[in-house]
Amino acid sequence: MTGYQSYYLAVKTSNRDFQMKMEDMPLSGPDNTRLEALAHDIYSELVEDACLGLCFEVHRAVKQGYFFLDETDQESMKEFEIVDQPGVDIFGQVYNQWKNKECECPNCKRLIAASRFAPHLEKCLGMGRNSSRIANRRLASSNNMSKSESDQEDNDDLNDNDWSYGAEKKTKKRKSDKSQNSPRRSKSLKHKNGEIGSGVGAESYKYNYNTGISYETLGPDEVRSLLTTQCGVISEHTKKMCTRSQRCPQHTDEQRRAVRVFLLGPSAPTLPDADAVETDSFDIPDAQPLMSRLQWEDSDISPTDSASSKASTNHSDSRKPKKKKKPSLPLNSGGGGSGSGSLAGGGGSSSQSNISISTKKKRPKLSAPPISSIYDDLN
Amino acid sequence: MLKRIMSKDSQMRAAINQKLIEMGERERLKELLRAKLVECGWKDQLKAHCKDVIREKGLEHVTVEDLVTEVTPKGRALVPDSVKKELLQRIRAFLAQHATL
Repeated sequence: MTGYQSYYLAVKTSNRDFQMKMEDMPLSGPDNTRLEALAHDIYSELVEDACLGLCFEVHRAVKQGYFFLDETDQESMKEFEIVDQPGVDIFGQVYNQWKNKECECPNCKRLIAASRFAPHLEKCLGMGRNSSRIANRRLASSNNMSKSESDQEDNDDLNDNDWSYGAEKKTKKRKSDKSQNSPRRSKSLKHKNGEIGSGVGAESYKYNYNTGISYETLGPDEVRSLLTTQCGVISEHTKKMCTRSQRCPQHTDEQRRAVRVFLLGPSAPTLPDADAVETDSFDIPDAQPLMSRLQWEDSDISPTDSASSKASTNHSDSRKPKKKKKPSLPLNSGGGGSGSGSLAGGGGSSSQSNISISTKKKRPKLSAPPISSIYDDLN
Repeated sequence: MLKRIMSKDSQMRAAINQKLIEMGERERLKELLRAKLVECGWKDQLKAHCKDVIREKGLEHVTVEDLVTEVTPKGRALVPDSVKKELLQRIRAFLAQHATL
């Protein structure tokens, strides 16, 4: 540095006249030199002022004893010297040392990248701000999807194409659902499904798979409330009730009525809209179960399976007396009423007005006035 | 003759200097120079040189004059060209405006 400086000074002094001419452009002729000299003098004074200021500052620091405070012993000075190597910051630390390291999650036992570890733990353990929000969103959307899923199980007569389409639809929907929640999710669903052991994610999936309701576990009131809002048709395979709406296209009103008779007794309340829409045409894929159900209505056998119906005599026994007493039976809270083969779906929960329905044929007409009375009760 | 010119010259100088001070331009120039010197590292360089001088002379016996005589010439030399040019330009501008010749 000093060598360069001395060289520079030598060059400078030799070229001073040259330089002055280059810098002098704005000033006019003969006064040039004088003004230029003046300017230089002023400049020199300013620089000397600056130097003097520094000297006073240093001298005061020396005399007050704080001049050498930033220096410690040689050892510490060397230890904290500024590092100037490539790939390393001035403290000598490597920048992305932990980027490539992986940590094992204590929850799900997966290897996660270090920089993603904290957000993963948040989701995995179900703590933290966003995890509950995402889980709720997943539950809400899976609710809609679960009905289609339970219907897949019902339609055993559908061919394999439909089944795989349904599964595809399910995965596709789930994938889009995930991408809505967080933009980074691109893992395959199967991977996720298999490996989430606990936490909110697992719960939502479990909910999906177990949405079918088994009527055996429900009490009469619960059954009634379910049947008033849901289709409720019991699948032959899984013995679970369909959770779709009352107008679900997978099942007919006949089926729904059959279920209600089965579950609530022969004098069960009417379906709210079904009878008005209902026709006698059966264009349903699974005609056979339906026919068997119709047969029960006539013979008053339990509607689930023709095979199992004869086995369960209790139901039929309990129903027969009620059936014979048709017109005079008042409706109790168990949902009585009479009506041998006629089914009336649940329009309200417990106390229904007396619904006396005698035959199948009269069903459409008779149900109209009771419906309005049901609604009055509800209101 | 030379004396008259010189006295005129010195008069002019005195007048200009006075104007500089009165208008506050000198203060401004001084602050500008200080800031630029700190920015370019001149101050730290010179401080390091001071440390050497002090270690040489001994901490207890350093005087202001010692420091001044040691430091000023080096300081003058160490000013970077860009800073010098800028300051000279400003001075010239001032002179062009206010120098009555």
